[in-house]
Amino acid sequence: MDDWLIAIIKVVGIWVWVLLIAVVMTWVERRGAALIQDRPGPNRAGPWGLFQPLADGIKLFTKEEIIPTKAQKLLYIIGPLLFSVPAFSAYAVVPFGDKIVLGGKEIILQVSDVNIGFLYILAIGSMAVYGVILGGWGSNNKYSILGGLRSTAQMVSYEVPLGLALLGIVFVYGTFSLRDISLAQQGTFLGFLPNWGIFKQPLGFILFIVAAYAEANRVPFDLPEAESEIVSGYHTEYGSMRLGLYLFGEYVNLVTISGIIVALYFGSWHMPYIDLGAYLGPISWGIVSFCIFFLKVSFFLWMFVWVRWTLPRFRYDQVMGLGWRGLIPLALFNIFITALFIQLTV
Amino acid sequence: MAKPVVKKEYTLSERIYLWEILKGMKLTWGHFWFNFKACWRPGPHTIPTCWQYPEDRTREISPIFRGEHMLQRDDKGREMCIACGMCAKICPAQCITIKKAKRKEGEEEKYAAKTYPAAFEVDLLRCIFCGFCEDVCPKNAIVLGQEFEFARYTKEECILDKRKLLMNYRKAKEEGKLKPPRKRVPVVPAPPKPEKAEGGEAKKSKAAVAGKTKKKPVAKKKAVESAEGTEKKEAAEKEE
Repeated sequence: MDDWLIAIIKVVGIWVWVLLIAVVMTWVERRGAALIQDRPGPNRAGPWGLFQPLADGIKLFTKEEIIPTKAQKLLYIIGPLLFSVPAFSAYAVVPFGDKIVLGGKEIILQVSDVNIGFLYILAIGSMAVYGVILGGWGSNNKYSILGGLRSTAQMVSYEVPLGLALLGIVFVYGTFSLRDISLAQQGTFLGFLPNWGIFKQPLGFILFIVAAYAEANRVPFDLPEAESEIVSGYHTEYGSMRLGLYLFGEYVNLVTISGIIVALYFGSWHMPYIDLGAYLGPISWGIVSFCIFFLKVSFFLWMFVWVRWTLPRFRYDQVMGLGWRGLIPLALFNIFITALFIQLTV
Repeated sequence: MAKPVVKKEYTLSERIYLWEILKGMKLTWGHFWFNFKACWRPGPHTIPTCWQYPEDRTREISPIFRGEHMLQRDDKGREMCIACGMCAKICPAQCITIKKAKRKEGEEEKYAAKTYPAAFEVDLLRCIFCGFCEDVCPKNAIVLGQEFEFARYTKEECILDKRKLLMNYRKAKEEGKLKPPRKRVPVVPAPPKPEKAEGGEAKKSKAAVAGKTKKKPVAKKKAVESAEGTEKKEAAEKEE
């Protein structure tokens, strides 16, 4: 019974937490964009405009839901659901802290520590493309279908370097579980570097982050919703909360991707050089590890915003060229080098 | 010939993108950090390029701004408008309506000229604030002032009649926001063509003999005058 209760609390808690971050991210994105472009941004609703997401949410909820006359109703309705549900469920295997001991019971700060965490993330991540393509198809709009097609081609081609980059990490740590990988990143590497994944897989990290930006449909790879070319791509015909689901789903994806990056490459909840877990009590270490993890996550979330307002959009053929001719050979090369190292050293 | 397009060869570090991306991110970070610090300074106007309008009205308005209309009075407090109707005629939006009236005996204190507008209406809903009316006005009577907040609730309030136009003038005068007098458009006399000038000189000797000149239009008018006077005038023109 206790296990069930703990599981439910963890699921609901992390769901609310991720949703909260996604909501705050909409504000951070708008304020960050504004400050980068020399303007103040939304600063009217509440202190520093912090209630702006609330106002947006109220607006989205109270708007009329319109289904275009010739849209395919079923596909049009399930499109946003198919996009947002995988986005919310993907966080289940990503850790958000070490562990916390409550009443003699050890609770792992992770919704479920499955030993095939990687495969789960890849499988769920591939699901998101269904939401995009079905929404684009069901809208009965030429811009929507173009956005959907672009997203399909882009996501399919960038899944390959994403998976290959993750394979390098699996070679190094010899496990699929994200918690085991996080635990293995304690201490130092070569005597002076923190024992983080980025120092063992530098090329793999670059490949992963580029492919992850493409998977999340973020600038410079936001071709599915390129507003200067195809209005707003697959969600042109959407309004009210259905559009809200697409937008929230995107930000939840960002949180998940940042969590994966931190867990795999940036030593998840470990501070460099200092093992805080040895000095703190079990409860306080649980809280501190959670905070450290989300500090790192927030840096990568900010980086998504930062890159978005720095780079222009790639042209479509450039995206495809970069994916197939640049990233995939590099990913194969990375795997080859990693395998060679492991074969020679172990 | 058009400038030939030189296609730049990218270096290796540029083709790899990553280093260039980092350079770009450094640039945007500079902007972000500058404005982030500016946000914490007190006062509404901290980011240099943004005025927080309703709170912050410190933004300078040009003295020749084209805002709400006004009808000016002269030094003695008389209405300057002569109801010639040129503003109404040139107005591209046709928003000015003028009713002309003749000045009666004993109204010299009130109106500057022999005619005055009995009614002068400016429809702000139609006006495009191009400023043609003040450009064309021969007496500098209609002027676009500095007032720009004239959102109103009804259509009738948006039509400025003569009373409101004169009130606008009084208000602007009290606030010291009167428009500076227009600069005279300099009338440049057309320079004499060099060939004709040579011919003129050749003629001049003849003219000296004949005691008459018909070289230039100015001289032509005063051909009746004596030869001495014409020569003086020519000398003055040359000095110019």
